[in-house]
Amino acid sequence: MIMPKVPFDPTWCPGCGNYAIWASLKKGLVDAGNPAEKTVIFYDVGCSGNMTNFNTYYGFHTLHGRALPTAVGTKLANHGLTVVVVIGDGGCYGEGGTHLINLMRGNHDITVIVHNNHRYSLTTGQTSPTTEKGDKTKSTPEGAIEEPINPIAIALSNHGTFVAREFAPDINRLSSRITQAIKHPGFSLIDTLQPCPVFNPHQSLEWYRERLIKLEDEGHSPDNLNDAWKQAMRIDKLPIGLFYEEVKPAYHEQVTELKDGPLVAKSIETIDLSILLEEFK
Amino acid sequence: MTPTEDFVWKVAGAAGEGIMTTGLLFSKTCARHGWYIFDYTEYPSLIRGGHNTYQVAAGKNPIYSQKEKVDLLIALNQDGIEQHQEEVGENSLLVFDQEHQKIEIEKYNLAAKLIDLPMVRLAKEAGGEELMANNVALGASVYLLGLDLDVLNQVIADVFADKGQKVIAPNQQAARAGYNFVKKQTQPQLSISKQSSNHLTMTGNEAVALGAIAGGLQFYAAYPMTPSSSILHYLAKNAHTAKIVVKHAEDEISVINMAIGASFAGARAMVGTSGGGFCLMVEALGMAGITELPIVIFEGQRPGPALGLPTWTDQGDLKFVISASHGEFPRFVLVPGDAQEAFEMTRKALILAETYQTPVIILSDKYLAESRFTINLATTTFTNGRFGIAATPTADKTGFFPRYKLGDSPVSSRSLPGTAGGVYIANSDDHDEYGLSSEESSMRTNQVDKRNRKLELMRSEIPKQFWEEEPQSVLTFISFGSTKGTIKSAREILTKEGILTNHLNLSWLWPCPKEQIKQVLDNSKNTVVVEGNSEGQLVNLIAQETGIIIKNRLNRYDGRPFYPEEIVDYAKSSV
Repeated sequence: MIMPKVPFDPTWCPGCGNYAIWASLKKGLVDAGNPAEKTVIFYDVGCSGNMTNFNTYYGFHTLHGRALPTAVGTKLANHGLTVVVVIGDGGCYGEGGTHLINLMRGNHDITVIVHNNHRYSLTTGQTSPTTEKGDKTKSTPEGAIEEPINPIAIALSNHGTFVAREFAPDINRLSSRITQAIKHPGFSLIDTLQPCPVFNPHQSLEWYRERLIKLEDEGHSPDNLNDAWKQAMRIDKLPIGLFYEEVKPAYHEQVTELKDGPLVAKSIETIDLSILLEEFK
Repeated sequence: MTPTEDFVWKVAGAAGEGIMTTGLLFSKTCARHGWYIFDYTEYPSLIRGGHNTYQVAAGKNPIYSQKEKVDLLIALNQDGIEQHQEEVGENSLLVFDQEHQKIEIEKYNLAAKLIDLPMVRLAKEAGGEELMANNVALGASVYLLGLDLDVLNQVIADVFADKGQKVIAPNQQAARAGYNFVKKQTQPQLSISKQSSNHLTMTGNEAVALGAIAGGLQFYAAYPMTPSSSILHYLAKNAHTAKIVVKHAEDEISVINMAIGASFAGARAMVGTSGGGFCLMVEALGMAGITELPIVIFEGQRPGPALGLPTWTDQGDLKFVISASHGEFPRFVLVPGDAQEAFEMTRKALILAETYQTPVIILSDKYLAESRFTINLATTTFTNGRFGIAATPTADKTGFFPRYKLGDSPVSSRSLPGTAGGVYIANSDDHDEYGLSSEESSMRTNQVDKRNRKLELMRSEIPKQFWEEEPQSVLTFISFGSTKGTIKSAREILTKEGILTNHLNLSWLWPCPKEQIKQVLDNSKNTVVVEGNSEGQLVNLIAQETGIIIKNRLNRYDGRPFYPEEIVDYAKSSV
């Protein structure tokens, strides 16, 4: 398979983690082995959403926070498609938080890659749902008052069936996690930590190197929800890897009307209402 | 009772007493005699308690609206008399249950003929429960109006078919007990001969749901909100038969974004909501506009703003749905006037959305949504073509398919994900021909023009609007949507009294049928706009589109629909 061409040059800042996520996504998609035309990427709004123009895949650049429901609608209409969501911490955990919580419960078979840089960077660096308490940003000049969201803990407590955290610069590791998530038959969340050297210089590569540990080095097994929970709640270190995976039926597999094939494959050429009209006589 | 060609029946009581089912059983019984019906319900925003009513106006000839005067009133409690004493006159019958309700009937000074029917006792004697007292009243109604008890019993059997004989039998026995009880006391007031017909009776919402299925609906998403929820219930219940997917999503924002996602994949998609839910959908409405994806939005109006009067009717969202969203893009706004139009226009809406790759809004209201109408369908089989979908798209040297191609036609063919050669971006940023983000000046101008030029093509779709005229007419009514039937009823009364009128009812409001409106106004000396809002939103729209300001207005915005009688009074006072 030939890697798709890039129509535009990326517009991200030098040192931005998005380059690595972009490279990982492309590699992950190719390694997943699905035909390119049967893959659709949904882009949210933010620096991550600028990736819209850099991939030769069917794409949908949605409204802010709404990439998740739009992706789910496409999946329900044609479950033969591979559906990937590229979204930021603001879109997924803030503006679209309701969607994340509720669509995860349905185990919709989509792969969600959250570009988590702890800032709203496209709008020049305001606080986000994952900003550390006390961090000074343009919208919190005296320091953020809120505690940061813990997306891994939320996913574990809310029926997430593929819950992972990775670190953007490790392209080999992230791309194989993306391939694994695409193959997972259900809702996959990859909270992807990425540096933002311009608006969040404090959480630099060095900052991460001091804190990151790999779950596999901790002897963690992703089929153990209790251990996953303990790892998610750690404050001494920042574990990356697959916290939890569970295989159970995806949403579309439980919809009676979709058992015999995708919705878009059903013909609407002739509609006979006679059975339905009986009750109105 | 004097009427021979039509009558009005009403049941009134507390919520939770099964009033809606009782009304439905009676309405079906009339319809199966070949009579036309119009059913109107009122209820507060409560699950239990509060006052509910169900009115059936039935006739040999078409019935277009509810009426003020009731020929037969079933009062299931004292409120049923208290709140409706003005509606019964000396020719009316009032059925109540003195033994159970202990009503001080003397205090009301009623001219109506009183029929004391021990509904609860008879229901229990017939082996049923207290709730089956309603069936005793139904049996009595059937006798008093000269209807056929066998027809009622068959309706009971059909409506309760899934509950089995254990439920059907006592309900039928209760009905028979009521029938026999009044038979011993009085003569039937009417004699209705059964005539054959193909009448179907359904609510405006049921007509919308069926019209959508006929139009090839594949994906329906909604979040419950009165008065749209019954579409969700109907489609969810019948999803398997109709081979559609129905999703009750977490909020209206998710609802419309899911539907747009389904539309992007190639499914015919629709959402349903009321004004408040539509407010939440508006940003995505614009996204459908700029990505040029088909979407049908049902908006059932209730009085706003905010929660307003949740279970009542209104026509106050007209200017909102015509102009909702920032930015500019074309849309259709269709406003059916009755269930027949609701069926046909919803079917058409799905076709229009796909043909023009743009949103279509169906604007209804509680009155149309939940009232029950008689409709006739010429066929039960409907055929659907597909429009504007490239079966074998070809990517050019960029690797992308020019889905937003600038050319002679503003409607460019779209490719569906999954199709080789068709890769493009549905982009909520403005974009070039491939959907790739573009902020370049001429591309922005060209793409805005491309989208907006569709409106001129869309104008060619506007059919002749409902227009009835009389020579020597002294007054022209202009209305939109569900006020159609009420004015038709009023005009029947006025004609009998020698006051001749014209009537223009608009059911396509955007693009606006301004030529026809202008023509009507040019030929009318005395015009009144009748609309269910306080601002005169139709008056303002007509002024905007034709330059003509209509001074005479009849507005109602108390949550109640117009009644024919008030239209008649207005006409008499103005000519």
